Amino acid sequence: MKRYIARRLMQGVILLFMVATIVFFLGRLTGNPVDLMLPEDATAEDRAALTQTLGLDGPILDQYAIFVGKAMHGDLGMSIRMKQPAAEAFFDRLPNTLVLIPWAILLGMILGIPLGVVAAVNRGGMLDRAAGTVAVLGVAMPSFWLGVLLIFVFSVELGWLPSGRMGGPSHYILPVITLGTFLVAGFMRITRSAMLEVMESEFVKLARIKGLSEATVIWKHCLRNALIPVLTLWGVFVGNLITGAIVTETVFAWPGIGRLTYEAVIYRDFPLLQAVIILKSILILSINLGVDILYAYVDPRIRLA
Amino acid sequence: MLRHLVRTVTLAVALAIAATAPLGAQDQKGTLVFAVESLGAQTLDPILEGRPGNAVYQAVMYDSLVGFNLEKGGVGPGVAERWEMTPDGLTWTFFIRPGQTFHNGDKLTAHDVKFSLERQMGPGSLAAAAATMKRIIKSIEVIDELTVKVNTTSPQIGLPASLSRAVAPEGAIMPKNYIEKVGDEEFRKKPIGSGPWKFVRNVPGDRIEFTAVAKHWRGTPHFKDLHMLLVPEESTRVAMVRTGEAAIASIGPEAMLGAARAGLEVLSVPGTMQAIFQFWGTYKPEVKDSPIAKVRVRQALSLAIDRKQVIEHVMNGKARMPYPFSTFGYTDYFSADRWEKWAAEAYRYDPVLAKKILAEEGYPNGFELKFANTALPGTQFMVDIGTAIADMWTKVGVKVTLKHYEWGSFAPMERGDQAPLIGWASMYRTAGRPDAPWRYNGAFSPDSTQRLLGDKENCPQDCQEFVKTYQALGSELDKDKRTALTDRMVEITSNSWTVIPIIEGMGYYAINTKKVGQFNPIPGRHELGDVFERMPRPEQKPWKK
Repeated sequence: MKRYIARRLMQGVILLFMVATIVFFLGRLTGNPVDLMLPEDATAEDRAALTQTLGLDGPILDQYAIFVGKAMHGDLGMSIRMKQPAAEAFFDRLPNTLVLIPWAILLGMILGIPLGVVAAVNRGGMLDRAAGTVAVLGVAMPSFWLGVLLIFVFSVELGWLPSGRMGGPSHYILPVITLGTFLVAGFMRITRSAMLEVMESEFVKLARIKGLSEATVIWKHCLRNALIPVLTLWGVFVGNLITGAIVTETVFAWPGIGRLTYEAVIYRDFPLLQAVIILKSILILSINLGVDILYAYVDPRIRLA
Repeated sequence: MLRHLVRTVTLAVALAIAATAPLGAQDQKGTLVFAVESLGAQTLDPILEGRPGNAVYQAVMYDSLVGFNLEKGGVGPGVAERWEMTPDGLTWTFFIRPGQTFHNGDKLTAHDVKFSLERQMGPGSLAAAAATMKRIIKSIEVIDELTVKVNTTSPQIGLPASLSRAVAPEGAIMPKNYIEKVGDEEFRKKPIGSGPWKFVRNVPGDRIEFTAVAKHWRGTPHFKDLHMLLVPEESTRVAMVRTGEAAIASIGPEAMLGAARAGLEVLSVPGTMQAIFQFWGTYKPEVKDSPIAKVRVRQALSLAIDRKQVIEHVMNGKARMPYPFSTFGYTDYFSADRWEKWAAEAYRYDPVLAKKILAEEGYPNGFELKFANTALPGTQFMVDIGTAIADMWTKVGVKVTLKHYEWGSFAPMERGDQAPLIGWASMYRTAGRPDAPWRYNGAFSPDSTQRLLGDKENCPQDCQEFVKTYQALGSELDKDKRTALTDRMVEITSNSWTVIPIIEGMGYYAINTKKVGQFNPIPGRHELGDVFERMPRPEQKPWKK
């Protein structure tokens, strides 16, 4: 087991190094923060001075060596735009994103799992098709469009909810719905597939032969077993939410790491962009590693393989 | 009877005093909420912020050495009431407005002015003009508490303008004693300025909060508090104004109609920018056989543009025919009336003449034109303008190869040998500023970044004439001669048809009239950082229906 964890950790470190390298060079291919910080009539002299002040004047390989050297010591650099350590800016905003995630997952589960069960039980019927439509809509509907639509209906027309920004409980409702709609579809489809598989199992037939009510068979015996693959997808969904909150946070003016990523890209804030992507990668790798370890613990075949 | 008379007179006098008395802290009520698409670096240290961020949110709490002409736009009094240049042009003396204080009660003096300018040029400063300032400012002398002299290495007629917030952020005045006492880090956490609003709180990525001072020369705020919210998405900003969560939101021209139909007031700030198109490297040997190397072909491309259509359909009618490149009605030392007439004729829509010129120049069937379409952040409508004019060129037979570039990718192509742009036309823009020479230098000087008329190796006649005129302008003290030289500079460049204005744009805001009273922006100033203190509450000055 220890060897397995060590191997996975080593793979994670290699992956992180590759991510950091790709982000470093790709970021620089797309432009330069100096161009976005200076007015259009800036002189070449001012441009050269600012480039030097920002430490962007050396050869790119030298800059890369400095970046790697510092990153090895946990220093991900200073944000060019915010003049704040990039890692600090990330951890300042991370809690704002994390407070949305449990609610979005809860919404996804509360709606998605029962819908999946109903769809599986009524396989091929009207309810299955209706649930399938919900799933397709949930996946296909752009969160940008959904967010704007929700604001228009519930904030502007009905005046029930605030249109954006962090605040009291009412401020969470629209962003959580926007983030959670995708998850409803995800949970629904996985639950449906898992339920269909479990419903064909021998133990389910036995339960029915024993004379248990259909509700008990479905909601107790089938669902309990079908939930195992559903729960293991949490890691993937949390990862998706951490990386995919950019649009939701932008629409709802939510100051989380999604917005921070967007700002880092727009302003070509290389150190911030590198830090955000590396730290997000560490978060996702940690979650995946946790899930893998759990799997390996439950199923020895995985670690032996 | 007498007692009654005395009481009446006393009451009348009291009312008269109350009516004429300056606004005091007790009269400041409510919170003015402004939703904006960007808060820049969201730092309250002026040496770390660029022009747009400074103009939006730093301007509320810092005063600038030179300020605004509130009526006409452009340069006006600021921390310095007036300024004068010595006859040799090598020294500017600034006379500081007496009685100014910082928010901690310290007096604002000439020492603060010297300290602030030196801090802008010092280590750690990200000021855009730091290098230029270091080169042109020889020394700064404090003559007395309210007089400061700036000695320059060569005559610098444009120095006051460059220290005005109308042009650049480097004139922001910071508290010397406070910064020296607490250090840079603490100053950034608890900043102090001398403006009409005091700093309260900065929540990165979300908002900045200010509270009003009791009295200020720029205008005493009518609201007690000012909150600036960072709301990147335009439809969310408009929704916030509709619901009353914000009083004012910045919008683009594409959102104007929707906002007006929703019952919001739409405010236009005139003369904030020009959308332009320009030709790259037309003087270079490798472009000599290209159609765009010919002046008349470039003129024909201008004649093929129906600017009124662009104004009507892309800008929703909220734009106007432009003056020549980078000039506006408020441009200093400039014959605005003459050039307005000239521009109306020169920038007319005449596709027949355009085709005739193309045929005379040897292109009766048009030619292939490579056109880079781009827009600076926050001016997405520029892409629509670029697409529209490409379509108009197609109608006179020009086959346009249109490529779209995000600004961050476009800007690096301007530098170095400009290889990706040579022989191309591109969209560009120029911000509304009162001093034309600065922008002209950046576009046309052979040693500038863009060098659109010629470079050091190849400077044709109009390039040489520009250099001569620009140099003469730099040391000309006489106002009339200065105006004549500016006009000459505009003439040389306009006749080159290298940089061609399309429209003069405006800044736009959606306003909830129940949350803020009627106010006037500063002409040519898109940002409202210097306007918030004069915004009345809705009951004080309702908007006209």
